[in-house]
Amino acid sequence: MTIPEGHVVCHYCRMTHPAGGASCPTCGAALDVRTAVSRSGWVEQPPIKDMARLQFGQSRVQIEGTYVPVADFALAEPDWIFFAHHSLLWTEPDVRLSNTSLAGGWNRMMSGLPLIMVEARGPGRIALSGDRPGEVVALPLMPGQQIWTREHRFLTATGNVGYTWQQTGIWYTTGSGDDKETHYPLGQFGDLFHAQQTPGLLLLHAPGNTFLRDLAPGETVLVQPGAVLYRDVSVTAHLHLEYPQGAPSISWRRAFSQRTIWLRLVGPGRVAVSSVFGHTSSLRVNQHSPATSHQW
Amino acid sequence: MSCLTCGAPLDVQNMVSDSGWREAPRLRDMTEFRFANSTVQVEGELVPVAEIALAQGDAVYFEHHVLLWKDEFTPVTAMPTQGGARRIFGGMPFVLTMAYGPGRVAFSRDSPGELVVLPLHPGMELDLREHAFLLASHTVGYSFVRIQGLANVLHGGNGMYLDRFVTAGAPGLLVLHGYGNVLERWLRPGEKIMVEPGGFLYKDASVTMQAVQMPVKTGLLRRGMYLAEMTGPGRVGIQSMYVHHHAE
Repeated sequence: MTIPEGHVVCHYCRMTHPAGGASCPTCGAALDVRTAVSRSGWVEQPPIKDMARLQFGQSRVQIEGTYVPVADFALAEPDWIFFAHHSLLWTEPDVRLSNTSLAGGWNRMMSGLPLIMVEARGPGRIALSGDRPGEVVALPLMPGQQIWTREHRFLTATGNVGYTWQQTGIWYTTGSGDDKETHYPLGQFGDLFHAQQTPGLLLLHAPGNTFLRDLAPGETVLVQPGAVLYRDVSVTAHLHLEYPQGAPSISWRRAFSQRTIWLRLVGPGRVAVSSVFGHTSSLRVNQHSPATSHQW
Repeated sequence: MSCLTCGAPLDVQNMVSDSGWREAPRLRDMTEFRFANSTVQVEGELVPVAEIALAQGDAVYFEHHVLLWKDEFTPVTAMPTQGGARRIFGGMPFVLTMAYGPGRVAFSRDSPGELVVLPLHPGMELDLREHAFLLASHTVGYSFVRIQGLANVLHGGNGMYLDRFVTAGAPGLLVLHGYGNVLERWLRPGEKIMVEPGGFLYKDASVTMQAVQMPVKTGLLRRGMYLAEMTGPGRVGIQSMYVHHHAE
């Protein structure tokens, strides 16, 4: 990609913009701070500065707060956004709210995902919150660009961003008979967002801190499944079961299994994780989706 | 700018309250410090991550569910603990996991708070509330102590066990996760402080702890409130946020 003179590429959203600003105009990342890169190559996404503004279409969004941040939209007449109803914090009465239903309603309801999205159309102001400590992560999408995100991380997107969802295909079962349970450590469904003819903006709420890494072709990393925030669609993922050496094979708790369930990510592409991930079951895995394994 | 063995910033003042509680030093983002031949880097300030580059010959142990990510080829082994069945009943892990160098591995306690780094000199003993321990270097001995008195279990709200970390001939490193902010206070011999059991985080083994019923009612039919009475000499650490959490 050729970068025009006097322009820079944002480390985080990968968009090109004029050099010299204090923050990226498309994702809000602070540019006047030193890039924080761990020794292993994870880049820490700097939190969007308090009161930073992002422009999209003829509208803008201001990020307020740093602990449980709020996305405060000033929507212009032709612009609209969509979001899950439980993210709504406040709205001006002039903002026109309407519903849009999603395909696959039964499956979405069964997996705890919103059945109906809310559309908000300008002009007017409306604010959304992820309702727990974390960061708002802004992902500008160029026309044709697609990104995979973990379910329940979506905060909102501009109306020109297409939204579909797909089965993750990552699962395992524990127990047997009436106690049999199927677990989806990455969620049963993943969200896919793509920009159509015009650039779009996707906002996620990431619990905890967010870290990015670019995987080279064939490069792998093991991450907690629940930690994945988003990834390029070129990054593939499957289960990886790791059994530590010396783990007890027989226990009075018959169902207990000393092992770690990882998600094995294979490059090329960008992957983002958050430092909050939830726990996986410690019961013995009976069946699972295609997986690699390692016994130390 | 920061301590090489615990990562504490050296260019800031000690933050001590009028009552004598000292705020644990807030580790700066990407702070690095060393133990043995390995390096620890602390990343993030909301839900911090401890990333370790383990050198050959070094190892750390931890509860397996605090793993965030690791290099595929970093070896791990199980580290059984004694009193397995009783520990399970107490909701504590009975098998810890140990990761060996060379390799990289990262840990997170999955909740907002801060990391507290406690380098342990030879001959030290430290007690830690259950599920606050993030990792310890392999030179640190691990056991647990049962808090005597059923009242503690039923009313103290602090569980049955404390993790005990002991160093013998070699120094070691202990990293723990405090929920919210962490404050520390030194108690003189015989000095007492009453602490909400859920807020207790760590203490020197020389500090004694017992549940004491307070002369107040917490409800129409409830008998009273219990606090943990800590008696010096030694350090007591508390956390400002109490989260119920269960090991799996």
